[in-house]
Amino acid sequence: MNDLLVAKEQVRYEQKAYWRNPMAAVFTLAFPVVFLVVVGTTSGTSRVPGTTLRYDQYTVVAMLTFGLIAACYTNLAMSICLRRDSGMLKRMRGTPISIGSYLGGIIGSTMINVAVLAVLVVGIGMGFYHLHFPYHPAATVVTLLVGIVTFGAIGLAVTVIVPNADAAPAVVNGIYLPVVFISGVFYPLSNGSVLSRIAGYFPVRHMIEALVSAFEGGPGSGLRGHDLVVMLVWAAGALVFAARRFRWEPRHR
Amino acid sequence: MAISVRGLTKSYGNTEALRGIDFEVRRGEVLALLGPNGAGKTTAVEILEGYRARDGGTVTVLGLDPERRDRSLRAKVGIVLQECAVDPYLTVTEAMTQRAGLYPSPRSVGEVVDLVGLEAKARARVKTLSGGQQRRLDLGMALIGNPELIFLDEPTTGFDPSARREAWEVVRGLCAEGRTVVLTTHYMDEAQALADNVTVIAAGRVVASGPPDTLGGRDHGVTRVRFALPSDTALGELPLPPHLTPRVRAGMVEFEIDEPTTVLHELTRWAIGRGEVLDGLAVNRPSLEDVYLSLTGEAAGVEGSGGGAS
Repeated sequence: MNDLLVAKEQVRYEQKAYWRNPMAAVFTLAFPVVFLVVVGTTSGTSRVPGTTLRYDQYTVVAMLTFGLIAACYTNLAMSICLRRDSGMLKRMRGTPISIGSYLGGIIGSTMINVAVLAVLVVGIGMGFYHLHFPYHPAATVVTLLVGIVTFGAIGLAVTVIVPNADAAPAVVNGIYLPVVFISGVFYPLSNGSVLSRIAGYFPVRHMIEALVSAFEGGPGSGLRGHDLVVMLVWAAGALVFAARRFRWEPRHR
Repeated sequence: MAISVRGLTKSYGNTEALRGIDFEVRRGEVLALLGPNGAGKTTAVEILEGYRARDGGTVTVLGLDPERRDRSLRAKVGIVLQECAVDPYLTVTEAMTQRAGLYPSPRSVGEVVDLVGLEAKARARVKTLSGGQQRRLDLGMALIGNPELIFLDEPTTGFDPSARREAWEVVRGLCAEGRTVVLTTHYMDEAQALADNVTVIAAGRVVASGPPDTLGGRDHGVTRVRFALPSDTALGELPLPPHLTPRVRAGMVEFEIDEPTTVLHELTRWAIGRGEVLDGLAVNRPSLEDVYLSLTGEAAGVEGSGGGAS
């Protein structure tokens, strides 16, 4: 069996299941789009300090980050917990599929979801908020890929501390909502504030900064290596933790 | 030999789940593993399936050590777990096709869908299936990879009687094709109907193993004879040998005897001579369930260090 071919087939079935389950699509696509319209239209057109983006244009970047986290972290963690409790993971483990093909299928499917999201929110930004097409398309794609890896890895790691599927929403959201709030997803942070310094320890803030830099033109814009490095450190830590402690079966009693 | 287990031990913390068990399964044979809940059946099967690591002993499955989780071994083994673990948003055919794609030489999807009787539901989403249909899908998912060896964990729990008969036919078909089956069950009639050999596990040990008809000396056990006492007849009038101790319960005469041929002949000749019939005449060997209960009861008595709860 060709692992790559199997992974490609997995992507196909993951996509079928994803689009047939309305809840997943609502959280990863509808929420960011609705927030973008609501927050974007009320944020005004003055410039965000330290960037060349307007407040409404910044919202596009923020909602792209928000949706990416919903798709990679929230959705992945929830579905792994559900599949673990229902026995799907145990079942998969009894077949000849490699872990790489199985995870590859999930991550490949997530990449498609993120691409759809990016087209949607950037399209809305360009259509309604005079957003310029990202000045650095390659840096944008690299940042999104690093984001998928980072938040996917953290999603995988968080399943370790979720005891069962019933507890998954509380644990998964309980970790990420506070971080998202202090990281400037719903309003830009002023640099040097206490919140922004705390947020600097977490990957969400770095994702937004890197995306802003990839979207805007002007001097100093483009690929933000140091933000991506912070994210990748988080990814590596999360992957090591997940690899050591991952559970394929529900906890007994 | 499809499976060989020698001196298998496994503990969870201070609890000894398996205290050194041995058994073998020949290729093409159906082995039923019986035992009360918590006896160690599931632990033993999960070690064979490669889900658990053992503490001691040797285990080979199709010539390989399941603990190493070789892909070539996983490709030859089909597993039916107790829960239906299939993506609820896929259709029956999609789920089967996806699974078939993971195996080197799968069976045809349509054929397996027919085999488990889901042809009418082939295009239905998994979440719309009834509980019994989901169990049958489960069985189909285990067969799609064309396995040499199939593990069935309580395959007919929750089935109605006709669905059970159909599932039995499927299992018999698998043996006819030369596949090996290991099944756990709580139904003695299921073990009796399907198994070539039965292994009874209680309190982490094998307490008996053998063909269902001879298990625990069943074939040598005493025979119980019952019939209605003819009206206007006293017990003493029956032509029974003097060493028997017949009882009368609710108008039924009952006695145990090692070899019933002669006494049955005498009884029936006596009845015919009087122009009577022996109403409700029944001649029974102890059932598999009788043997099982006495075996597991003894084991629980030996091991039961005061633990009264079930």
